[in-house]
Amino acid sequence: MTKYQVVIVGGGVTGAGILRDLSMRGISTLLLEQGDLAHGTSSRFHGLLHSGARYVVKDPESAVECIKENYILKKIANHCISDTRGWFVQTKVDPPEYIQQWLEGCRKTQIPVKEIPLAEALAKEPLMDKNVQRVFEVPDAAVDGFKLIWANVKSAKEYGGEYKTYHQVKKLILDNKRVAGVVVNNLLTGEELEIHCDMVINAAGGWAPYIAATAQIPLKVICDKGTLLAFNQRLCQRIINRLRPSDDGDILVPHETITILGTTSKIVDSPIENNPEEAEVKKLLEIGEDVIPTIKHCRIIRAFSGVRPLYQDAPLDSSEKKGRNVSRSFALIDHQLENGIDGFISIVGGKFTTYRLMAEKVSDMVAKKLGNTVPCRTASENLLPQFSKDIEKKAYQLLPNVPTEKMLQRLGGDAESLLKVIEKDPSKGQLLCECEMVTVAEVEKIAADDDTYNLADIRRKTRLGMGTCQGAFCAFRALPLLWKNKDKYDFLQELKTFLNQRWKGIRPVLWGEQLRETELTKAIYSSTLQIKE
Amino acid sequence: MWDCIVIGGGLAGLIAGIRAAERGKKILIISKGLSSLSYSSGAIDIGDVGQLERQTDHPYSLLRQSVVRAGMDYFQKLFPNYQGSWGSTEIMLTPLGTPKETTLVSKMQNAGPLNNADIIVLVAPEGLKDFFPDIIKDSLEKNYPKARIIIYPFKISAFDAWYTLGKPVTGMEYANYWNTPSGIAEFKKLLISIHRKIADCRKNFKEIKKAVVSPELSSSWSKPLQDILAETPFPFIELTAFPPSANGHNLYCALTKKFKSLGGELLLGSEVEFVQCRGKIAEKAIVKSKVSSSAFAARSFVLATGGILGGGIEVTPDSAQETVMGLPLFIPSKWTNAQFLSEQPYTHTGVEVDNQLRPLDSKKEIVLNNVRIAGRMLAHYDPWSNNCAGGVSLATGWFAGENI
Repeated sequence: MTKYQVVIVGGGVTGAGILRDLSMRGISTLLLEQGDLAHGTSSRFHGLLHSGARYVVKDPESAVECIKENYILKKIANHCISDTRGWFVQTKVDPPEYIQQWLEGCRKTQIPVKEIPLAEALAKEPLMDKNVQRVFEVPDAAVDGFKLIWANVKSAKEYGGEYKTYHQVKKLILDNKRVAGVVVNNLLTGEELEIHCDMVINAAGGWAPYIAATAQIPLKVICDKGTLLAFNQRLCQRIINRLRPSDDGDILVPHETITILGTTSKIVDSPIENNPEEAEVKKLLEIGEDVIPTIKHCRIIRAFSGVRPLYQDAPLDSSEKKGRNVSRSFALIDHQLENGIDGFISIVGGKFTTYRLMAEKVSDMVAKKLGNTVPCRTASENLLPQFSKDIEKKAYQLLPNVPTEKMLQRLGGDAESLLKVIEKDPSKGQLLCECEMVTVAEVEKIAADDDTYNLADIRRKTRLGMGTCQGAFCAFRALPLLWKNKDKYDFLQELKTFLNQRWKGIRPVLWGEQLRETELTKAIYSSTLQIKE
Repeated sequence: MWDCIVIGGGLAGLIAGIRAAERGKKILIISKGLSSLSYSSGAIDIGDVGQLERQTDHPYSLLRQSVVRAGMDYFQKLFPNYQGSWGSTEIMLTPLGTPKETTLVSKMQNAGPLNNADIIVLVAPEGLKDFFPDIIKDSLEKNYPKARIIIYPFKISAFDAWYTLGKPVTGMEYANYWNTPSGIAEFKKLLISIHRKIADCRKNFKEIKKAVVSPELSSSWSKPLQDILAETPFPFIELTAFPPSANGHNLYCALTKKFKSLGGELLLGSEVEFVQCRGKIAEKAIVKSKVSSSAFAARSFVLATGGILGGGIEVTPDSAQETVMGLPLFIPSKWTNAQFLSEQPYTHTGVEVDNQLRPLDSKKEIVLNNVRIAGRMLAHYDPWSNNCAGGVSLATGWFAGENI
């Protein structure tokens, strides 16, 4: 039996943000996540740090929250953000009458807008349709979701916060009309544990209803699936949004060497229905063509889907776009007031951009209930990786520029032990994943980490396998590192699982150069290496 | 006027060109690229011919066993160093040290002799890329339980700078080195020290059967290395390589050399834009360059453009095209299966042909009378699941070359 003041269920961006905030206030907190951190919705979205301009007409409350948080995150987490700015473009098929509503909405919500002359816009974005009518710039930015979540968790750890992955909460422990803890299953060992606490925070996204149900509390969450495409190049240098009432395929977001186009909307029955369908892919390409006429000839490296958990407060609109009329604003539910069950709070809905604000509100509520008066400092204390000038200098001496920058951002001060390894054995400074430029030393370190359990975890933490070859080469090169930790990994099984995970995203976009890459990958694994299912 | 223009200089195209040139025909091969042989191990998988001959529309079922055999025999005639016989399989080692069945394998890659070994020395050159001796050792222990496996690491002074900087040495770089005069001398020294190492291990040295397993030397293609190995009192087996492969590359070089020595002309790095036809007769291959076009006229053509990987078939979200002659393609209605490593339907995409390898349309009528399709361009087979990649190229390439 172990005791904490607070247990958070759910390791997405909201849970991670709450873990940090509570830990900074000195409240002992444990986060429990059934998979790997961010493996749910938090790693399956555009990666857009909203300016809020998208919501100014239909959901101005959301818009105001977004612009405030946008500025805050750019200040405290700028290593996770690429401040590309964003455009709203009116294409030849978009309604011109929407523009006035939209501009008025931006003014009311205080989102800065600037019109860009067409000639300048077309010169800056050569792939954009020449028939675009009007272009407006707003402070949108691109955010790396994994990096931000890891930064929050790392900061939380420094303040005494703890987390466990692959720990699935089975049910809430009820003591009279109070939640006194959770029963959790360690999915790796099968062991069942009881963890006692003063409060449980349900930040489980699409799984939130299942947690609440174990205390007979009804929680209505709509699962809205959205499919996105990752293109093999930067199709644009800034975010491009459609200037029209929110619809599918509205947004293009460049991230490093790729571009994400999304998204679609389809109500599904559960949060695990995240298979991208070919029809959704084709639809996105049709819509994308309005902005980038040559988009069908651009190489797509994969399609992926995320399930947005939307809080259903009011009865659903009967129109077809069900998911789109539910507010993206979040709901913070104190179950003591709502259902007479003490010690249990749910936080549902919301968007990635406003995670910190959601976490602050939850933490304020929790702190009040626990009699903690330490104020929230998450908006002012930065999340930047901490490393000394010496470490930085040494890193740039030992490794090429671009991999060094990426590594320092990922590891911060932890890079020091890695650099010592590379100094001693320069061959560990080789790039194991050549597409994403990750060194042997880093993969080796992460593979041996206590909270790394499989190749997918390594992928999320290092970006191995997320580039052009989608693991064709680096999965093979990771094998000896997995072999070294034999008690942890069955390396051949890890390889097959990894290839199938990558395949899930490649199947719906299997044409062009991606198809050629697949032929080569198949030849290597099925024939040269003789790996069978 | 050429007797035949072969479009595509991969295994199928080169075999067709070699056979036709041997028969005195005037042959031009126009090839955009350098084939995909460097990605392969250099061994030839023919597959279970009896079973595949009965598979509907499989190239073996159209040409029948005797042609498949003829292709295989022809290859062995061209490369007597390759071992293997009709109806049986040989074993070679994958880059992970696991056994792989194949049909034709170069003598140095034939892992047969390992079955009798008491000691297997696994040669481990320092810094070799994509080479994992610990994993290979485990695989060898599992598959050759009688043998004791010893890893033998070593360095070559010629690569000292690589080692110091921690830069990997690719398999191709090592293979090329072994074929230089200093490499050959180092190789002799290496064999002697291995011999000594084994001697240190056991008392009754003369009775134990030893063998050496090594990453690629590409010795099959090097006379000096072959001579040294001929005098070595133990078998020396090369692992196949994770691409690029020196053995695959050298097979490609040997094929182009043979073709040219027979008077064939090879135009590399040129892409056939389209083929001009009159009715059902193909007349001229048009090659476009930056400045102007060139037209090459021939009495007949062989289309061996390598399918999806080779660029002979281009697939877009909405369609699939045969890129050179615009021939109709068979496109499977289901494209993929859920498990990546299982059979994949998309591999069956290709041009349908009659039993003379002439292209057919959906009504089964011949589209062009003087064109034959060879290799990966053919429809209705999966080279990976059927293990017949090399076999189809050899059979169809030989048949096309034989009938020009």
